[in-house]
Order: sequence, then structure tokens, then C-alpha cells
Amino acid sequence: MQAEDDTTRSAGAAAEGSLALGQPGSVDDPGSFALPRMCSQGSDPDVPGIPEYGIVYPNVTDGAALTRDQVFVGDAVVVGTGAGGATAAAHLREAGLDVLMLEEGALHRTESFTTDPATMIRLLYRDAGASTILGRPPIAFAEGKCVGGSTVVGGGICVRGPERVLDHWERALGLEGLGPRGMEPYFVEAERVLHVEPNDDDTLGRNTNLFVEGARQLGWSVVRSARSMDRCVGLNNCVLGCPTGAKQAMHVTEIPRALAMGASLITRARVDRVLFLGTRAVGVRGKLLGEDGRPCCRFQAHAPLVVLAAGARQTPGILKRSRLRARMIGRGLHTQPSARVVGLMEERVDPWVGTHQAFQIHQFLDQGVLINYAALPPGVLASALPGLAEEHAEKMRDYNYMLSATALIEDQSEGRVVLGLDRQPRMIFRLGRRDVERVHRGVALAAELLFAAGARRVFLPFADLPAVDSAEELPTIRQRPPVAATIELSTVHIMGTARMATRARRGATDNCGAVHGVDGLVVADASVLPSSIGVNPQETIVAMALRNADRWIDMVGERRRRGIVLA
Amino acid sequence: MTRKLDAWDGATAGWRPLLRIRTRILRAAIAAMRPRGHGFDQPIDEDVLRDVERSLRHLPAKLRIRLGSALCLMEYGPPVYIRRLRRFSRMTPAEGRHYLASWERARGPRAALLRRIRDLVFMSFYQHPEVLAALEVGWAERAATLARLRAELLYERSAGDPDAS
Repeated sequence: MQAEDDTTRSAGAAAEGSLALGQPGSVDDPGSFALPRMCSQGSDPDVPGIPEYGIVYPNVTDGAALTRDQVFVGDAVVVGTGAGGATAAAHLREAGLDVLMLEEGALHRTESFTTDPATMIRLLYRDAGASTILGRPPIAFAEGKCVGGSTVVGGGICVRGPERVLDHWERALGLEGLGPRGMEPYFVEAERVLHVEPNDDDTLGRNTNLFVEGARQLGWSVVRSARSMDRCVGLNNCVLGCPTGAKQAMHVTEIPRALAMGASLITRARVDRVLFLGTRAVGVRGKLLGEDGRPCCRFQAHAPLVVLAAGARQTPGILKRSRLRARMIGRGLHTQPSARVVGLMEERVDPWVGTHQAFQIHQFLDQGVLINYAALPPGVLASALPGLAEEHAEKMRDYNYMLSATALIEDQSEGRVVLGLDRQPRMIFRLGRRDVERVHRGVALAAELLFAAGARRVFLPFADLPAVDSAEELPTIRQRPPVAATIELSTVHIMGTARMATRARRGATDNCGAVHGVDGLVVADASVLPSSIGVNPQETIVAMALRNADRWIDMVGERRRRGIVLA
Repeated sequence: MTRKLDAWDGATAGWRPLLRIRTRILRAAIAAMRPRGHGFDQPIDEDVLRDVERSLRHLPAKLRIRLGSALCLMEYGPPVYIRRLRRFSRMTPAEGRHYLASWERARGPRAALLRRIRDLVFMSFYQHPEVLAALEVGWAERAATLARLRAELLYERSAGDPDAS
């Protein structure tokens, strides 16, 4: 990093000042109700501490602490610190590039996480978890907005992109090197980066056992999930941030690694657009946000390599705001919608005890359906049950007898991301008839599993068919008219909005994630995935970022040889 | 534009009367929607109200405006939707429940907005410590215990493996 003038300060230099760098105090909302604090990294040497509580975050600047317009300079600027961004940043830094990471959210340390959904959703999720994909039906969407991105609030499930999908990318779409063989070494490396391991048996709760028993009753094979973790203890709090530190999200792995190697991170820095010199990307500009989330001053970050990894919603938004006219930017949105099915079981489940999605059912992946289960806090599960007041209370009193299953659908329909009047990205997606049929199929399968596991009633995500009381009633799901508007869906996996394609008219990025027609602008998140993959995408995003980052390093080397360093 | 939208949330003193109206309607909505009976009779409406208002502050400005409009519609809608000449906030909880049931049945945007408000209320209600205790959910206590357990397991692991970091 180098200073340009008196208003210019490198991120590293800023980090050395009196700013609040990576302190636990970055939690700006202490929460609704008092909750016990976790044990901290022990000051007493005889008391074992939690390694993740003691992580040092050097070179971090809180954008809210900066009071003047700023200019940063580096070799590569990475926008977003989720699975793709953090991986790319660490990889680029390892190759010797001066890397600056920009993150719109704040840094929240592991020890600040609690089990209170309202508090954690407000802190860690974009729009307090209330985003919606417009269309028929509207789909509830949630993504992380914090250092670590959605890896902080995801289940940490690691599944390789299915071979048939990778084959399709390579053979049908002509994306050389994206087939199973070409991606193999990157998946291996991704599994190392993500600390992938299966859950220990002693962490499994009754919900896991019932889910597995139900599948076995039906003769379905279950797959033990590999997850990004280090000695999970089964708290089931993955989606609110893991207070035990077991989940190896990016804020405890690749980000501190990149920072320790000398990379810099500016938090609460919202990127508005990419800066160009001719057809060359030369940096980004945006606004630094105050504690209240409102812009307080502006910044520019100059670098010969701009890596966009802000997620499949924000990345096309930045590209569109940058006045790039490529038709495919924002198109090709896949949502992988999930339909939630809640079983009221005969026996007590205690759904809050155990492990999040320790098993999945991959048997129907070829039909575009992935079945899994989720542990939801009472306040979140309540939204899946119909009714108000006494009617709702009557259902929720049996919370400890409930098992939630979800059917994740590999969607074939495509939506898009457009800019609203306020220049913010809006997602539009209409569930096609074939996808509605897949939802019906997925819901019927999940309900069948719950009945096989001992459910006496199953609540469905259909406004016109809220519940069934026996497996004999399941055919009514298939007989239900395929009306998308009455289905309740949610998603946390959107992708494909700057997809890789050999030609600009088919996708926004090329075979290595570089934006078509622009020099020095690349994408490293789920936006580049060429189609819906039908499984949790974290590992595929990381593998793709590792694969493409090697090519970007070559690209920067080539530009250096040509004497192009900065605008 | 954004500043104007944010004003709804109380940035400007001139908007305080609107905030008071919003609070009044929310209080009535919570009274009508909140679970009752079956072990859910805790007197926590004011706690829930405070928490819902805090959540509203974190929603995107446009959604806040939409929810604010929905609350106004809820307040002055009874003459239109159930042919009752009474404001929602003046109804008894039972009457309010009956009225909101008509919103639920309506589907479309009105039902969707009701659902948003309902989800906020339920999130705050069911996560209240008194309700969690009634549900026999000890998630927070378990978190503290498991964090300590993991620390011990990692300590044992590193003690057993001198190569471990």
C-alpha cells in the first residue's frame, strides 16, 4: 500500500491508528434480552480456552471510524468476504499481491454470538433477514452481511457440485476444465480450506436419529454430511453464528489468514460501482457507513485487479451500476428454493438439541430434489405454522415434538436481478410449471419421510393445504393444482447472475470468471455458477474461486510485465 | 428520498406523533396476535413491543414504509373489511383477532404484509426468556455449556497430539 496525498491512507496504515480494530465492541446491538455469555479465551492457563475467541484481526479498519473521504491503493481489491471473496483474497495474498478486502457489514467476533435469533438476525443478515425475491410466489431470501458473509450464518454443509452438473458445464456449455476431472484438485483444496469433516456421533440429536430412521424405513439411502467445522459439539445454532467457534466460517479461517499475511480489510464499506479507464477496471468507489448504517463519507480503492464477490444479488447490482451494458449481467438467476415441512412427532424430539443437517438424502438429486432437516428456534419455526393467538399457541406448545424437514429444489426456471429506482438490486423470479411440480414432489417426499419417522401430523407449505394427518392423504399433494402463488418458499442459495460462458451473449463472465469485454474485472462468488447445482453451493464456490484465482494471478503478472500497474 | 423514508423511524422530531400512532397500532396487533392459553399467558406484551420496534429499525427503508402503511390500513380498515365502525386499536383482542383473521383469508399483498408483522411478533414472543422457559427450551444455557465442553475437547485433543497446534 502506498499513500497518494494527505487524504489518502492505506488500509494498513489506518489499521495502526487509534481505530477500533476488530474489537468485540463491534456488536452494535447488545440484544433484546439478557443471555448468558459464553466462556471466553481463558486468562487462567489451567482453563482451556476456545481458539476462535482468541483470533487476532490485524489490519482491519472499521469504516464507521473514518471521518474523511479516503483513497486506498493496492494490487487487488476484493469486494465481499464470503466464501468466494475470502478464499480469493487469501489466495491472491499468498501469491504476493497487496490485497484490500472491502466488506459492507461489520466484524462480529465469535464470542459475541448468542442464541437469540432476533438479535443475531439483525446483526448478521442483510435487511435483518427480510429480503424477498419478487415473483410468483415471492420467495423469502436471507444472506449474511458481515465479515465472513453467508458462511457465518450458513449450515457449513460441504457438498461437491454433482458430477452430472459439472459434466453439463463442460460438455454442453463448452466450459473447458469445469468437468469433474478438471475440478477434482480444486475440490480437494476447497475441502482443506473449509476444514471439512463429518459430525461426531456424540453430537447427533433425536431429530437426526428420527430423520435417518424415517429414511431407512422407506429404503432411502442417507448421506452423512461433511461440514466446515472443527469439533462441532451439536449446538444447532449454525444459522445464527456459531457461539462455540466450531463452524469454520471465513471470519475464523481465510480472513484472519489473509490478514496475518498482510492483507487489509475495511469493514462497513459499501461499493457502489467499478471505476474504469477505457475498458480496464482500475478500482471501485463507494461509501463508508456509520454505526447506524447510513453513509458517512466516500472512498475509492484503486487496484489493477478488481474481484467482485458480493453475492449473486449484489455483484450484478455493482456491475449494472458501473454502466456495463452486457445483456447477460443479472440474467440467469437460480434460486434453489426450499419448501419447509414440519412434522408433529409422537415422541419428544427436542429439535434444539443436536446437529444441523448432519445427514441429507441425495437419492432424488437426479429428480432435482434434495431432502434434509433443520433445527429452528421457536421464534423462527413459528412462522412456518399457520394461525394466530390460541390457534397458533395450540400448535407451538408441541414445539419439542416437532421435526422440520426441507425439500431443496434444483430449479430450471431463470429469473434476473434488476436495479430499482433507488439503484439497489431487486431479484425477480417466477417459478415455472416444472419447478412447481418438483416442489410438489419434494414436499410429498419430505412428508412421507416424516410420517415414516413417526409423525402424526405434517404441516405443509401450501396456503390451500396447510396440513395432512396421515400418509394416506399424501396423494392430495400431487392432486393439488400447480398454483405457484400459494406455495411458501425460502432460499439461501442464489446463483448464476454473472454466469460463466464461452460467449458474452450467453453469460457475463468467461471461463475463468473474468467479465467479458473488460480487463481486470473478475467475479468470485455464486454469480459465476453456470446453472443451478441442486446442492449446498459453498464448496463449489470455494473450489471455483481457487481455480479462477490462479488464472487471475497470471493475469496480474501479465499486466505487470506490460507495465500496467495503476490508472 | 432515503432520508425521507428514514424519517419514519423517528430521525426527525416532527415525526414523533406518527411513531406514537405506530406504537399504538402495534400494541393492538400484538394483543390480537400473541399466542394465548396452552401455557402462553406470560404478561410480556410490552417487551415484545419494544423488540418488534427494534427489529423494525433494522428493516430496509422501503419495507418499513410498506409495513407502516399496512399498520395504517389495519387501523382504519375495519369499516371496509368487516363493516365495523371502530378503529383496530380500539377493539378488544378478541375482536382484533377476528378482524385479522379476515386479513389472513384475503391472501395477496394484504395477507403477505400481515404475515410479515405476524412473523416479527412471533419471533419476539417465542424467543422471550419466559416463553422459552415455558417451552422447556434451554438453548442459551446449552450454548454456554457446549462452548466450555468444546474448549475441553480441543484441549484434550491437543494434549494427546503434540503435533497439533
